[in-house]
Amino acid sequence: MKKSLLAAMAATLVIGGVVAGCSSNSPTDGSSEAGQGGTKQISFMFRGGPEEQKAYEATVKKFEADHPDVKVKIITTTGDQYATKLKAAITGKSVPDVFYFEPGDLRAYVNAGVLKDISEYVKDVDFDNLWKRGVDIYRYDGNNVGQGSIYGLPKDVGPFALGYNKDMFTAAGIPLPDKEKPYTWDEFIKVNQQLVKDTNGDGKIDQYGTGFNVNWALQAFVWSNGADWLDATNTKVTIDDPKFAEALQYFADMQNVHKITPSIEDAATLDTYQRWMKGELAFFPVGPWDLATYETLPFDYDLIPYPAGSTGKSATFLGSLGIGVSSSSKNPEEAAELVTYLTASPEGMQQLVDAKVQIPNLIDMAEKWAADTTTKPANKAEFLRIVEDYGKPIPNTLTYNSEWYQLFFTDIQPVLDGKLTAADYVKAEQPKMQKLLDKAIEQEAKSKK
Amino acid sequence: MKARSHLYRKESYYGYLFVLAPVVGYLLFTLYPLLYTLYGSFTDWDGLGQMTFIGLDNFKDIVADELFYKASFNTIFMMIGIPIEITLALLLAMGLNRKMFGTTTFRVIYYVPVISSLAAVSILWQWAYNGDYGLVNQFLALFGFEGPNWLTDKYTVKPALILMMIWKNIGYSMLLYLAALQSVPKDYYEAAALDGANSWKIFWNITFPMVKPVTFFIVVTKMIGGAQIFTEVNIMTPTGGPEYSSATVVFYVWKKAFENLQMGYASGMAMLLGLFIFIITLVQFRLNERSSKDME
Repeated sequence: MKKSLLAAMAATLVIGGVVAGCSSNSPTDGSSEAGQGGTKQISFMFRGGPEEQKAYEATVKKFEADHPDVKVKIITTTGDQYATKLKAAITGKSVPDVFYFEPGDLRAYVNAGVLKDISEYVKDVDFDNLWKRGVDIYRYDGNNVGQGSIYGLPKDVGPFALGYNKDMFTAAGIPLPDKEKPYTWDEFIKVNQQLVKDTNGDGKIDQYGTGFNVNWALQAFVWSNGADWLDATNTKVTIDDPKFAEALQYFADMQNVHKITPSIEDAATLDTYQRWMKGELAFFPVGPWDLATYETLPFDYDLIPYPAGSTGKSATFLGSLGIGVSSSSKNPEEAAELVTYLTASPEGMQQLVDAKVQIPNLIDMAEKWAADTTTKPANKAEFLRIVEDYGKPIPNTLTYNSEWYQLFFTDIQPVLDGKLTAADYVKAEQPKMQKLLDKAIEQEAKSKK
Repeated sequence: MKARSHLYRKESYYGYLFVLAPVVGYLLFTLYPLLYTLYGSFTDWDGLGQMTFIGLDNFKDIVADELFYKASFNTIFMMIGIPIEITLALLLAMGLNRKMFGTTTFRVIYYVPVISSLAAVSILWQWAYNGDYGLVNQFLALFGFEGPNWLTDKYTVKPALILMMIWKNIGYSMLLYLAALQSVPKDYYEAAALDGANSWKIFWNITFPMVKPVTFFIVVTKMIGGAQIFTEVNIMTPTGGPEYSSATVVFYVWKKAFENLQMGYASGMAMLLGLFIFIITLVQFRLNERSSKDME
């Protein structure tokens, strides 16, 4: 071999290390002291914002106090590194005993034997007092999600409600929105237009109606117009439905035609989230995980149903994150115990709810929580209505992988910019997405072998 | 070979011991994963369960994958930043090599981004590029320009990333050049000045050839690094940018492997990327060898 060839090879392998995996950022392992004689040690890996991490760490401490023979080793990462770290742990066969997982990964993890069937360990749980929709997401009988064995319990359910800035309405002398009756689409635009204002008279607009992130808010408009991404069997992409195109066009027109959002091109959350917090937006989605952060808002806010399209019914998504047990866990009983403590026990739940990072999983606790209208937002009952009545899972959790769904949002910018009509977009995009969905279905069939 | 002294043997024993750590590290963390990836690329593997051998099927799919080409194009496009960075770094180094007031301060200023965390820098620049109130557009507004929304426009997202990477990395190249410049013997310059060479000639015939080994080193490492851009893309444009216009190969590999349960497919792409890097590195070594011979 020539010298240059050798040198080049060495340089590539040493400096590159490309195929060895790209990650140089190692997530921080917050670990507690190791277990001592007689105690059983289990590991618990999770993610979340600073408030959530604090709340969960405190709750785990309480669990340890209540179970003196169990020591929990906590592993946390930031949200964006979690999936990588968990999948690396699975590939490396060192799965934590207890871990968070996305509902969309349930089938893959069960088919590959990563998640343990915990049905027999959770017999004592009072399922009548847990949100049925929340639990059903983690049932799987080998073919369908929603029935059969339990492979996890919901860490929480995440109803993505719509909030509005009460003070802004009062200042503008506009009657407050009706929390029982959603706006029609036209009414929504009209009230938004009344709220777009130049408040300090410098010729620049500094108060806007709204600014939705397409990834998280488009669902509400599509569903309330009677359309969806998938058909009932979850095997066909149905975005080429005219009702779908109508909803997408309405969404894009909020920016391009009606000018009720901050800037024409911008849909990034960063801006609108911050504008909402500064009191410059009238309407913005509110998730339960935001409640602690929103405590400090300099204005009063409350929840209302999303504006309703042609179905006349409001819609939004109900997210969730599961907590499951590794099938390789040496202490499955203790691991399942931790799962139920965090998700279904009054002691654990009360602590997490008090930390204001989620709504209660326990129905009786949730009803008491929602009935207290002295804390913000007053209409917390809207969260519960989403959970019990009109919340739907995000389409990407219904299929084996979400590549087809991601493509929709990757290509969507021209529509949002008004350079492409929604009708043309859905027509061009449907076949591409269908192809990826077919691949995912094929992959799922193979994984069952 | 004759018997060695006791001292020699003892010394070489410790020598091997010291070398052992990096060698074991290399075998464990580079060679083993590399071979594992190579095998994985011939399998249908979701990264969780069984690996089924499927021969070249992954590669057949990859060569027909539109997004793979898009990601490859983006990756290569963003390497435009490399020559720009190297040129600027050399100019800066020459400027800072003079005896002037405040050069140390400037060296520190240019080097600070290098030691900053890439993730933090990415978040910072994400704000700076914000279309509504980002620093970049506010600066442009001073001169009456209305800046675009850098990261959500498919035409500006790549230049925006390139600019940021130059800012982040220039201090490193500059420092290497600075060291090389300071090792150039002063008598060369004095002799040239006596012969009446102008500053361009001095640069072209003395400075540039003398720092050539450093240039070579920077070009090779930059291109290998450039082919593997990931963190900044993942943080600043988590969906791969509008119409995948900022997605790089490593970003696409990561999406496939960790989000879409296609570890086998991703391994295949990683192997192709590795091969690509190997080829460009080889070409550069060859070119370097040839031009070194020319000089002799």
